[in-house]
Amino acid sequence: MSEVRMVASFADEEQCVHTIERLLETRLRPRVFSPIPSEKINEALYEGRSHVRGWVLSGGIFGALSGFAITLGTSYEWGLNAGGKPIASIPAYLIIVFELMILCGGIAGVLGFLTNARVPAMEPIEGYSPHFSGDRFGVMVNCEESDSARIEALFKDAGAADVSREPLPATTVSPGHGGH
Amino acid sequence: MAAAAPTSLTPTFSDIDRQVRSVLEPGGLQYWAWICFCAFFVVIGGALWTNQVYNGLGVTGLTQPTMWAIYITNFVFWVGIAHSGTLISAILYLFRTRWRTAVYRLAETMTIFAVLTAGLFPIIHLGRPWFFYWLAPYPNERSLQPDFRSPLVWDAFAVTTYLTISSLFLFMGMIPDVANARDAAKGWRKKFYSMVSMGWQGTDRQWRHFSMAYLLLAGFATPLVISVHSVVSWDFAMAQLPGWHSTIFAPYFVAGAIFSGVAMVLTLLIPIRKIMGLEELITPWHLDNLAKVILLTSLVISYSYICESFMVWYSRDAIELMTFHERYFGPQGYLFWMMVACNCVIPLLLFSPRVRVSTVWLFVISLFVNVGMWLERFVIIAGSLATNTEPSQWHFFTPSVTEVFITVGSFAWFLMLFSLFARFLPIVSMTELKEGIRWLREALHDTYRRAA
Repeated sequence: MSEVRMVASFADEEQCVHTIERLLETRLRPRVFSPIPSEKINEALYEGRSHVRGWVLSGGIFGALSGFAITLGTSYEWGLNAGGKPIASIPAYLIIVFELMILCGGIAGVLGFLTNARVPAMEPIEGYSPHFSGDRFGVMVNCEESDSARIEALFKDAGAADVSREPLPATTVSPGHGGH
Repeated sequence: MAAAAPTSLTPTFSDIDRQVRSVLEPGGLQYWAWICFCAFFVVIGGALWTNQVYNGLGVTGLTQPTMWAIYITNFVFWVGIAHSGTLISAILYLFRTRWRTAVYRLAETMTIFAVLTAGLFPIIHLGRPWFFYWLAPYPNERSLQPDFRSPLVWDAFAVTTYLTISSLFLFMGMIPDVANARDAAKGWRKKFYSMVSMGWQGTDRQWRHFSMAYLLLAGFATPLVISVHSVVSWDFAMAQLPGWHSTIFAPYFVAGAIFSGVAMVLTLLIPIRKIMGLEELITPWHLDNLAKVILLTSLVISYSYICESFMVWYSRDAIELMTFHERYFGPQGYLFWMMVACNCVIPLLLFSPRVRVSTVWLFVISLFVNVGMWLERFVIIAGSLATNTEPSQWHFFTPSVTEVFITVGSFAWFLMLFSLFARFLPIVSMTELKEGIRWLREALHDTYRRAA
């Protein structure tokens, strides 16, 4: 059976979310393009939260430990006795620890975003239209050709402003890009 | 300069795109004349700095006991200016403040260029700037042990972290907008925007991770804002110098930084919204809210001045009393009273709702606040050093031509970088304006009602 790529564009976020829910009910996982971040789209498509949180936590812990390592390590390597005060002054060092925690956590967060979102994207993503960065929400799904009429009707019922279909080469892997 | 055509009172996503994209059109003759004007003063500042490097710091007005004066004042001033950017972009983001969406990109951009300008001054202040890397606090072969108990070392970590996190925050927030600009651009701009937007296409996966990373970055930037200017204040407060050694400095400096930074946002915002035709995106509602932040922080600053004076009076410490007497009534006491007028008295005009939505009044008040906050740093830094614990050493600082023109050059450098950014990258966040389009429509209706 040959497959086709169906892309619908919507002017309204609610219509887009409604379409996603209808497609998921029919066990088709769409790819969605949006000009704005949408909590509703995210909730419709995903369970749980982004893995970026783990990256940030790991980066923050690494940064804090690095802060302790650089301050304590340097102090004990050059043991400078200043008026009999302790060689290592933890309260003063907490400022360095804090700054490095923020620095490494922030950098890890950005790296986590780039890795998980697969950015930079070297190849154009199929189905994308310049309208999707402007004023339209896009829903793309790959389906069997025999299902295309039903999907098109589903899109139009949901209020799609425009529906396009394009035959896919036989080797194209269908459609989902799921996961987190 | 291009001005966008007026839109309706109910702007759509397309209207927002059209207005912001119109700013990204090639600049005209006036724009490039302005850039050349700024570049001229940057070159003069650079030439005077070259002369200073060649002939030594003797060409400045720096002499015992005032070895920190204009340059360090400029450093603290520019770091302070940087703070409101992160306040508006990160802290107000966490609080979901509605009016921030139209102004936060401009404020964030200002933050980056202000920190870059501030970073010049510790190097300009060096007699041998080619050894600037000796300042970097890392264990090294030169037997220069970094003392992690020193506030100057804390400062190096804090400012570097601040610049990095603010840059990441600005860059990340800009990706969807640059992708938007890419989709409408042609020629070299399309290639440039394609590179900067890194193939962003707004898929559900991209937004999902973007939103989480942006939220967490905002969460990290929030305590960072508080910490950085606290650390800058400890450069002074940790020293055993009358006029510096005070426990109030951290909150006092943070409030002052937000005060001066928001004033600088208004100084930049008012001409930009007029010249670039952004009046329908940056409405009087946005200006009104920025003015309220200035008013609030002005009151905090006024309270801090009173509190600081009270603490000195209550301590009955003779040296502190003498220093503050000189600050108020000494040979440069007029600077203190100018500072009070600019920071405490003139902003009181903002209690008037009409003043808060008048661009002329706001622009003038913001200029006074900028001057007042620069004077505050000068009075604290140079004034306190001039009247140290040894009266036989007392000497009030007078700036040289070199310092004056390097300061002017730093303003020109800041304005030049900012103007270049505003013409080539989206200075207003299209994405966030669209997210909060309901509030923009309400603001436009409110403006219309007032005008009617």
